[in-house]
Amino acid sequence: MSKDVKFLVVDDFSTMRRIIKNLLHDLGYPHVAEADDGKTALPMLQTGGFDCLITDWNMPGMPGLDLIKAVRADARLAGMPVLMLTAEAKREQIIEAVQAGVNGYVIKPFTAETLKEKLDKILGAGK
Amino acid sequence: MSSFEVLKLEYGACVEALGEALKSDDETAFFNAVDHIVRMREPRTITAIRRLTGDLQQALERFSIESRLADIAEHGIPDAKTRLTHVIRLTDQAAHRTLDLVEQSGPLAERTAREAKALLGASQALRAGATLDSRAESAVRSIEGFLGTAHADAEQIRRNLADVLLAQGYQDLTGQVIRSVMTLVQELEQALTSLAQLSGDVVEHATLGENPEAGPGPPVPGVTRGEVATAQTDVDELLSDLGM
Repeated sequence: MSKDVKFLVVDDFSTMRRIIKNLLHDLGYPHVAEADDGKTALPMLQTGGFDCLITDWNMPGMPGLDLIKAVRADARLAGMPVLMLTAEAKREQIIEAVQAGVNGYVIKPFTAETLKEKLDKILGAGK
Repeated sequence: MSSFEVLKLEYGACVEALGEALKSDDETAFFNAVDHIVRMREPRTITAIRRLTGDLQQALERFSIESRLADIAEHGIPDAKTRLTHVIRLTDQAAHRTLDLVEQSGPLAERTAREAKALLGASQALRAGATLDSRAESAVRSIEGFLGTAHADAEQIRRNLADVLLAQGYQDLTGQVIRSVMTLVQELEQALTSLAQLSGDVVEHATLGENPEAGPGPPVPGVTRGEVATAQTDVDELLSDLGM
């Protein structure tokens, strides 16, 4: 599997972004960019150059769910693999996220193994 | 006596008074009679409403007199929000500091493991091809023993550091909880302010002393007033001035 994948990690807590970035580096993915909110992430995605989105749900400007809907509504971004990584664990929320078009859903706190497993799954198809 | 006879006795006079008031176009007498009938009909409800109104009035008076509640709305709650923000900032700094150390230490452990393993292999290969006296053999085996342990330990350190990395996720989770508490505090502030306005808030607030909200605990910038030692040197200087 290509390690050339360009990730965008979106979370309003800089410590969490840093943890995810480290984990991705440890898995062999060197290209990881960050955004602190759906609002700042969307223009970055629209500029292009990203192959995979990892996003939190609860963010003050634009929540992750709205970001996912915006991504799926944009013709250029619609096919991008999206992983939701969040503390929100209610059944209805998971269903909502799936209906919005996420490819994977990981709840916090999570392990490195879980992240690897889910990424392999959503990136494996087609690469 | 039938129940209806009782009714006629109870209400008879009022109905008569009502009729009289209507006949003589006496508005005051009319409403007096109506009120009387209503009071007779729903005595308990009226009494209860009157009591509630009285209680509410007293409560609002107490609210404005006991200015503490108004003071909480004005000072205590903003202080609470400042403290909670401070907590998020402290945990953010601590988690990032830990991550700095993890990022520095990881490569060191990795290098140690890698080089120990390589040296062990090289030493074993060398020993296989050479003839050593028993002392040299023993010394080399000791060194190889150490290299094996160093490799295993460094690998374990590497795994531990990975766990430390993940554990810093506490800052995100606790931060989210704190933020939702702050939202609650905000709503409480709005409710208390409205209540203070409702009660008229006529009384001047008694100032509650220098630092009533601070309580014990670490100093919080923006909340704690007065001189605060920020480093051990400040404390030592003060102690020295006090003759210790």
